[in-house]
Amino acid sequence: MKKKVVSRFTMILFVIGLMTAIQFNTINEPDSRDTRDVWEIRQELSREKQLHSELLSEIGTLDETLAKYEEASDDSPEQALKETVQELQQEAGLTEISGPGLQVNIEPSQEAIVTGQNIEQISPALLIRFVNEINRFKGIDLSIDGKRIINTTPIRDINGRTTINGKPIGTPPVEVKIAAGSMENAEKLYNYLKASPILDNFYIDNLSVDVMQPQEEITVEAYSEELMLEHLEAAEEE
Amino acid sequence: MWLSILGLILGVSLGLLTDIRIPPEYANYLSIAVLAALDTLFGGIRAHLQQVYDDKVFVSGFFFNILLAAGLAFLGVHLGVDLYLAAIFAFGVRLFQNIAVIRRILISKWSDKKEVRESV
Repeated sequence: MKKKVVSRFTMILFVIGLMTAIQFNTINEPDSRDTRDVWEIRQELSREKQLHSELLSEIGTLDETLAKYEEASDDSPEQALKETVQELQQEAGLTEISGPGLQVNIEPSQEAIVTGQNIEQISPALLIRFVNEINRFKGIDLSIDGKRIINTTPIRDINGRTTINGKPIGTPPVEVKIAAGSMENAEKLYNYLKASPILDNFYIDNLSVDVMQPQEEITVEAYSEELMLEHLEAAEEE
Repeated sequence: MWLSILGLILGVSLGLLTDIRIPPEYANYLSIAVLAALDTLFGGIRAHLQQVYDDKVFVSGFFFNILLAAGLAFLGVHLGVDLYLAAIFAFGVRLFQNIAVIRRILISKWSDKKEVRESV
């Protein structure tokens, strides 16, 4: 009799233990499993490699600057500093830039003119898309309707008007100037924009985009406002 | 008694080593089932200590309680009423009562033994 009771309890406890362990396993499942396939990992790897090469080239430029400083430290340290300031200003978009590039004109479409529709401003969403599309290319400076686009440029609707850097842009036609750094890049950008689906998006808004042939000399205006960087802080070194 | 604990250890290690998992949707049911099983277990121990243990009641109660609790939870999910709370409440209350009874019985047994020893 006693033996039977013990065997029953053993059986029940075995089942309880099994259920508890299964429940424990289920609850303690890791939050996110790594479900990337080989292709995704490859892509991640290529992204990291790109970052690596960018960092390497940055180190190269910095080394160059350092060498310049050392060279110039004997005769004129001031000159070297001025050059650096100039470079940084250029990078930040505070100077006018001339060089090979292309011009893009955004105009009201023929259909809109013929049917006599109101010509509306370009919407901020469309403009942002357009700028992002151009920014796929690295080392590009551009201005829209004379307003230079820099890293902190806001494109938004203020009181019903599309503004860039807080200044309203005119109704189309609007000129977009892009300095591409080299003729080769300008050609690439030209081909890319010509085939880009963003042009169809403009067409929906009754606008047509005219991408001009690349030119040897195009001037992109300087950023005219004062840079407001009160909320920016230097990153702490790791 | 030691054999029963061996069974528990065997069950836990088997569950952990085989790394069985159930879909997370069913984790609720399993938790209620575990609670029902524990309730039955302590009920069984109490009955055994009170000399009213019945084999059939114990084993059938074990499986029936588990099925009832899981069924109630299932019904609750489909009706939009948290019926599993009823099961958790019932089992929880009974669990405490059973453990309290077991404790009293053990204490009285222990003090009886002590008295006997002192009288000798």
